[in-house]
Amino acid sequence: MSRRPAVISAVVVLLLCAERVETARRPKHGGELRLEISEAVQTLVSNAGRESAEEVGAKAQIVALVYDLPDSPGKQPVEVKPGPFVMAEWDPGNHAVLKANSDYRKGRPFLNSVQIQMGRSARDMLVDLELGRTDLAEIPVEQARRATDRGVRVSVSKPDELLAVVFPAGRAATEDARVREALAAAIDRASLVNFILQKNGEAAGGLLPQWSSGTAFLFSTAADAGRAKELWAQITGSPKLVLGYDSGDSLEQSVAERIVVNAKEAGISVTAQGIPGAGSAASKQGAFDARLMRLRMTSPLPRVALTNFLATLGPVAKIDASPLPDPASPQDIYDRERAIVSSYCVVSLVWLPQVYGLSARVRNWKAPGPGETWPLADVWLEGATESAGEKEKQ
Amino acid sequence: MTFRSKLFWVFTFALLLSVGLIAAGVMVVSQRAFEGLNQQHSDALVAQFQREFERRGQDIVHRVQGIADAEPTVRMAIDLSRPKSDVSIYVNDARGVSRAHQLDILDFVANDGSIISSAEWPARFGYKLSWVTQPEDWAARGSFLTKVETPEGPTLALLSVATVRVGDNNLYVAGGQRLGKEFLASLVLPAGMRALLYLNLDPTYQPANLLDAAGPANDAERFAPILEKEQQQPGQQTAKINWTSDPASAEIFHALPLLGRQKELLGVLLVGNSQREVAILENRIIWLALGVVGIGLVIGLLLSWWGAARVTQPVRKLAEGAREVAAGNWSTHVDVRGGGEIGQLGRAFNQMTQQMSEQRERLVQSERVAAWREVARRLAHELKNPLFPLQTTVENLQRSKEQRPEQFEEVFRESTDILLSEIQNLKTITERFSDFSKMPQPELASVNLNEVVRSAIRLFEAQFGAVGRPPITPELHLEENLPAIQADQALLHRALENLILNAMDAMPAGGVLMLRTTHGNGDVHLEISDTGTGLTPKECGRLFTPYYTTKQHGTGLGLAIVQSVVSDHGGRISVESETGVGTSFHIDLPGQPARRAQNIPIVLEKEKGKEGS
Repeated sequence: MSRRPAVISAVVVLLLCAERVETARRPKHGGELRLEISEAVQTLVSNAGRESAEEVGAKAQIVALVYDLPDSPGKQPVEVKPGPFVMAEWDPGNHAVLKANSDYRKGRPFLNSVQIQMGRSARDMLVDLELGRTDLAEIPVEQARRATDRGVRVSVSKPDELLAVVFPAGRAATEDARVREALAAAIDRASLVNFILQKNGEAAGGLLPQWSSGTAFLFSTAADAGRAKELWAQITGSPKLVLGYDSGDSLEQSVAERIVVNAKEAGISVTAQGIPGAGSAASKQGAFDARLMRLRMTSPLPRVALTNFLATLGPVAKIDASPLPDPASPQDIYDRERAIVSSYCVVSLVWLPQVYGLSARVRNWKAPGPGETWPLADVWLEGATESAGEKEKQ
Repeated sequence: MTFRSKLFWVFTFALLLSVGLIAAGVMVVSQRAFEGLNQQHSDALVAQFQREFERRGQDIVHRVQGIADAEPTVRMAIDLSRPKSDVSIYVNDARGVSRAHQLDILDFVANDGSIISSAEWPARFGYKLSWVTQPEDWAARGSFLTKVETPEGPTLALLSVATVRVGDNNLYVAGGQRLGKEFLASLVLPAGMRALLYLNLDPTYQPANLLDAAGPANDAERFAPILEKEQQQPGQQTAKINWTSDPASAEIFHALPLLGRQKELLGVLLVGNSQREVAILENRIIWLALGVVGIGLVIGLLLSWWGAARVTQPVRKLAEGAREVAAGNWSTHVDVRGGGEIGQLGRAFNQMTQQMSEQRERLVQSERVAAWREVARRLAHELKNPLFPLQTTVENLQRSKEQRPEQFEEVFRESTDILLSEIQNLKTITERFSDFSKMPQPELASVNLNEVVRSAIRLFEAQFGAVGRPPITPELHLEENLPAIQADQALLHRALENLILNAMDAMPAGGVLMLRTTHGNGDVHLEISDTGTGLTPKECGRLFTPYYTTKQHGTGLGLAIVQSVVSDHGGRISVESETGVGTSFHIDLPGQPARRAQNIPIVLEKEKGKEGS
């Protein structure tokens, strides 16, 4: 009997704790989310409201926050309507402030506003995350582990970005398929994943990730230096290859330098050369025998993703870039992948995830997958109140 | 070349030689001094390089040891000693650590030799750096030069290795600094010197591997000989490179081999010493020397000229005196002072000319006496011949008057005829002597010798074919274009008559009389040859002596007159004769008589035989 009050007390305490936990998990309105991105978006106007869901990158994500885009990827909106947020301030390339749209068709977002800082360097974003100066920021995949080690909360998406070596068509040095195959065989993908990506990513053999196609395991990712040497010995003239990479992309630079080392060990002469403004059309016409390219999946659907990849690669490499049939069977998709991989015109290296750093107060964030937008309409901030949010805003 | 000139040039040559030797000596001594100075500079720079090399090596050893002793490195070593440790987290560590410690090269190497992290080539992780794991006391080794692989290719670095031992595992820390243009730039060089570094990364000489403080060296191909030699046989060497034809552009390079751990040649330090300053100094010395030489030369030349003149003046006087003597002025006296050899020579010369003059006087006197005797003898001989008949005729008249008066008239007529005849002979003799004594001076006019010859021949044409004597055939070979000469035609005609008469007398049995005229060198030449009996050499020698004759009734004045005429015209006459063949007279007459000196002796060119004349 003497134990009853104690038990009751304990039960009361537990109930109170449970309620507190429940209260803590319950979404709260208010607050301003501070977002930092590396891209310096200059304009949203050109295709405002017409942004395709297949577009990727920060600009597309901001557009998706401001405009109500169709849920189904590829479906064009009939009428442009405001999205979950409305643009309150816009300083091109510098910062923007989005306010919650109370009239959003899916309901008002939890956040009162989103403050976006653009053109931030990876180092600055990481520092800001550590110091709590931002709530959400992009983190380069190769620095994800470092960020975690430094106590930063990290959100990692499914690997949806392919880093590949693409051999441009018409280059005499790589006209012989054995040259391309030798270089492909020399590349040690495991070390790329383990050391450069710090185990954030997957070695890639095919053009689609395992989680999407289910057939990625059929493509070998192992290095074969012996095979590379054997093939290289068959080639007369021993051409000297130039591997281009985006000079503004530290990951591409590290991968390119590693490929140079791998190639050198196999006796293949490769020189890595940075391409300023690799995204521009002019840079794609550079005098490179091979170049690193990042291919972001725009859809989780293998047919759509592969079709978009082919549309990107077609003008560059000598591959069959015709669209896949709709619907396409897994065999069709695999066969097309196999044909491209076997041509060694595109050599897949690694699959990269999208990594985001989060502050401790960010709730209900989920790293978006291919074709998905930032779920900021559903995100809420721990400890934020509407009034507080308003106060913050003032 | 005169004796004075010779003496001047001898003095000048001696002066030049001595000045040149002194200048060369000064040049050699100064050049050796400069070379010694250069060597000192180079040695100082080499020593500085070695000290800097050693200092840097010590610095690198300390830095690498500091990295090895640092907490993160020890923690890395502990982590790596664990089974299945994840080395990937350290892949980027070397870059940051190397920057913090100001090292160009830094590799963290696992116990198995695989690179965990590399600063100079970050992408090289996972590959082996096996030489680090070879058993060696790295702490004792200190710093060393080695070849390091980088993304840009192999390079040279001053390296040190430190080990962090955890249990049975070692973590190797290999760090260092590149040996390149930055290292060269850090060397403090004296003015005019520079240092170059050759990275011996290839089996053959590669110009691109030669660096100076600014980067790849210019004109690196010029260093090929010394560096190739260094590659074949490492050692300290010296070579000179002339960059242009200007000696001031030259540089002397001292090569210092840089060896690795296995004593292999990894690099060569070239210490260059510009010769510009030396060349400028040498130029100054040369110009100064040339100035001194020039001034000395001018003074020397003047002194030589003065000395030569002073020495040769007595000799010149002696030469002039000798010329005077040769010209016939035997009483020449030279004024030579001084007591040396030249003075003695002058006095001897004066004594000699005095003696010669006295002897000549005596000789002339004796010749004059001899001539008078000869004249007296000839005159006595000539006069004695007619005198004897005169005497006998007169005696015959006396006897006839005393002993045979009846025949006296007849005897008288005969005797008076004889007397008249002999008196005529005496008259003829005196006329000849008178003619010879009255030889006139030539009156010069333009004369064609051919005409004189033809005129003379015409005079004797009748006698050549006269009845009762063997015929003489005249042959004339007269040059058509014979130039006219300035001469006295009458005297030449007379001389020619004498020679033709002489030739006719020499050919009592007949023969050929040949007369030939030619010209050359402004002279006219006349040759008169006969096919007579010829003359002996002794006769030839005395042929032109007055009153000398080989004929029974000759006066001995014919050829003397010929010689006198030729001589008065400034010409020359010679005779050549061969016994039994004939005699030829050669006469050379100048176009202008003044061209020849008077009294030119007769030349006896050839004497082969005897001929009556």
